[in-house]
Amino acid sequence: MSAPGKDKPWTELARTAALRAEEIAPDEQRQLLAIEVAGGAYALPVECVREIVRLRSTTPIPRAPADVRGVISLRGEIVQVVDLRRRLCAEPSEPTRRSRIVVVQSEDAGVAGLLVDGVREVLRIGQGDLMQPAGGEAGMVSGLCRRGAAFVSIIDLERVLDLHAGS
Amino acid sequence: MATRRPRQGRRTKADREFVSEAEEILEAMRAGVSDLGDRCGANHGSDPELVNRLFRSAHSLKALAGMFRFDPIQDLAHRLEDVLDGLRLDRVALDASLCSLLEEAVATFAALLERVGDADALASFEAPVSQLTQRIAELIAAPRKKDDVLARLDVDPSLLRALTEYEEHRLRENVRRGRHIALVDATFEILAFEEGLSELTAAIREHGELLSTLPAPGEAPESQINFSLLVASDLPAQELGAALDFPKASVRAALTADRAASAPASAAQSAVDEPAREGAAPPEPSALLDHAGELESLRSISDTVRVDIRKLDELMNLVGELVIQRGALGELTARLCESAATARLGGELAKVHKALERKLRDLQSAVLDVRMVPLRQVFEKVARVIRRMRRELGRDVRLELRGADTELDKLIVEALVDPLMHVVRNALDHAIEPPEERRAAGKDPEGCLAIDALQRGNHVVIAVRDDGRGIDTRALRAHAEERGLVQPGEVLSERETLELIFAPGLSTRDSVTETSGRGVGMDVVRSNLAALGGVVDVESTPGRGTAITMTLPITLAIIQSLIVGVGQRRFAIPLSSVLETLIMERSAIQRSEGRELLDLRGEPLLLRHLAREFALEDPEPEKVYVIVLGIGEQRLGLIVERLHGQQDTVIKPIQGPLATLRGIAGATDLGDQEPVLVLDTSAIVDDATRRREVT
Repeated sequence: MSAPGKDKPWTELARTAALRAEEIAPDEQRQLLAIEVAGGAYALPVECVREIVRLRSTTPIPRAPADVRGVISLRGEIVQVVDLRRRLCAEPSEPTRRSRIVVVQSEDAGVAGLLVDGVREVLRIGQGDLMQPAGGEAGMVSGLCRRGAAFVSIIDLERVLDLHAGS
Repeated sequence: MATRRPRQGRRTKADREFVSEAEEILEAMRAGVSDLGDRCGANHGSDPELVNRLFRSAHSLKALAGMFRFDPIQDLAHRLEDVLDGLRLDRVALDASLCSLLEEAVATFAALLERVGDADALASFEAPVSQLTQRIAELIAAPRKKDDVLARLDVDPSLLRALTEYEEHRLRENVRRGRHIALVDATFEILAFEEGLSELTAAIREHGELLSTLPAPGEAPESQINFSLLVASDLPAQELGAALDFPKASVRAALTADRAASAPASAAQSAVDEPAREGAAPPEPSALLDHAGELESLRSISDTVRVDIRKLDELMNLVGELVIQRGALGELTARLCESAATARLGGELAKVHKALERKLRDLQSAVLDVRMVPLRQVFEKVARVIRRMRRELGRDVRLELRGADTELDKLIVEALVDPLMHVVRNALDHAIEPPEERRAAGKDPEGCLAIDALQRGNHVVIAVRDDGRGIDTRALRAHAEERGLVQPGEVLSERETLELIFAPGLSTRDSVTETSGRGVGMDVVRSNLAALGGVVDVESTPGRGTAITMTLPITLAIIQSLIVGVGQRRFAIPLSSVLETLIMERSAIQRSEGRELLDLRGEPLLLRHLAREFALEDPEPEKVYVIVLGIGEQRLGLIVERLHGQQDTVIKPIQGPLATLRGIAGATDLGDQEPVLVLDTSAIVDDATRRREVT
């Protein structure tokens, strides 16, 4: 499975995923957006991803916890951006050209942006490929799956956005 | 069919909701019908406003019954609508038989309501209801006896035939009142007739009622046009002509008042054909505009559209984005003007930009206007609650509502309901004493609760006053000490003590708050209002009563903001809470008990540094700006490093995991993609004045 180009647009990622999805029975598979945080491979359920945008100027919020990097404007909508590297690994992000903001829609926290070090591809996995997390991930990972030889940690979005939890 | 069971027990929740809503409407109808009866008895003729109100009640009842599927009530309400519509258009006469029919209808409604939930009982009512409906139908169908006023008018019959139904009705009404009817013929140059005609109609309106404006047949030259205006006035035609003093118009009597008055009250059938509305196409609509809304029957009078508030939000957002784009355009224009090479083009663009700005402002206010609704609905809800509580608590409370026409943004009105209701409930529950206690205190046994709303600048002030026992500040203080909110021995001013009712720890319902008069959930009221950018103040005199004052912005949508800067950051401060801005040397700051003060024209002004409030890097420049904030009665000087000027801002909520950001009301995009945080001035002032310096 070859990783698409680093900067392939989101729509293209989704299209390739959709094409591949036809090979498997729909009720047996999940689609995940593979992302990169601090050199680790993580994934988010595709259904909560609204869009992926390049890093843009972020306004810090005074007196806010460091996990929240600030707010961005998405066509006038003001959205908080959570630094996923800080959240998962307790170290601050250093944005690069590959950094992206994944805009997600969560149940409890509403719309939020997740700052990640890179977006890779859309994975599709069958229910049988899901594994229990190994532990030690600050409780923000709901499960593991395989991508080739490597493990991918599936992020528990609600936990990541519950700033009272973990780290 | 179900078997018979106790009536109340069989009512579902929906039934109960329907009945309680319907009872409110019925109450209004009963009052209206009895007023109408009085007018009829006094031979006053019907009052259009009163009939309109009744019509609306019948209409609401019909809609409500339709919603809950109570067919007999819906049918009857529908019939009633018809008859009231007829009454308004004078197709149905206001007489004793109509009044008794209306009374009967109201009584029938009441009986039907009582039986809601009991299908058998409702079914047994079918016959009387359909009988009543039949009688109403007959009344509408019966040709109205009209006196032959029109036949007695000394006017070309073709002109009379051109009258609309409403105009004819107004004509009859004026004749009945004994006014003179005059015909004014006027000739205008076609090119300038609009102006001339509007001058003439304005003059006529000063002396009477303009019944109709019609283009008149006549042998006018090509370039001229004739009009005939039918006028009702207290002045006889000759005097009217002199009063109008209009050279191009001739006035003659169509019917003098004497003849009108001495005419037999009831005469033969009308000799006039049904008016042909299409026949009269007045060339100058503005002269008729006054009646335009009334020309149509009531059924179509509600030329309004119900719009989902979210659609208005979308519209508002679009306008907001336009405002932002306009800001960016302004920046570009300014840059063009700065450079000599492009200054000329920049100047031209600046003009266009200016015009765009004006139009945009008009658009803004037009969109805002659409969102504005009067407080009336909320007041009606409050009145309903009070009526219910009056029954339940057995308190005699008089409700005084003033300023129901004050308008607020629909969203704010929605959000206001709960806090207002809370304050009103508190007043009834705790503040206003039982009648015996009031009598013992030498007060009117009937308590009074007054709600006043008034607009003040960009804010609406809503004051809820009761004449109850007032807040017992000693009990309040003792309670606060118990909760550890105040240290024993700590000196608090009277005002500070009263403010304790808004403290979160005192929000629980217990016996102490009961006797202190207020305090149940007042912290929630305060935070709810703060979320809207509003504030709540309290005033109370023991034994005399309490006033809770809520101050709210008229709209949340677009506000003028002051853009300030500290270090690398910019912030927006809503201009509505800025009293003034000053430039000041750092050395002018005075210190007292660890607080920083400024001598502002002899008054001490508490100062706070925005940089410190928000833990930002502070370059501590020698010259600083002081933004004087005023929230309710409180003042605060906020020290900032830079002023970037004023801008129109659209405050957007900040979405994401952090739900509460103390001191920040939202954010705005000023057109450069970088959000600017908007300060929650009421929270900042509140925090600053409440907090004591530890240093």
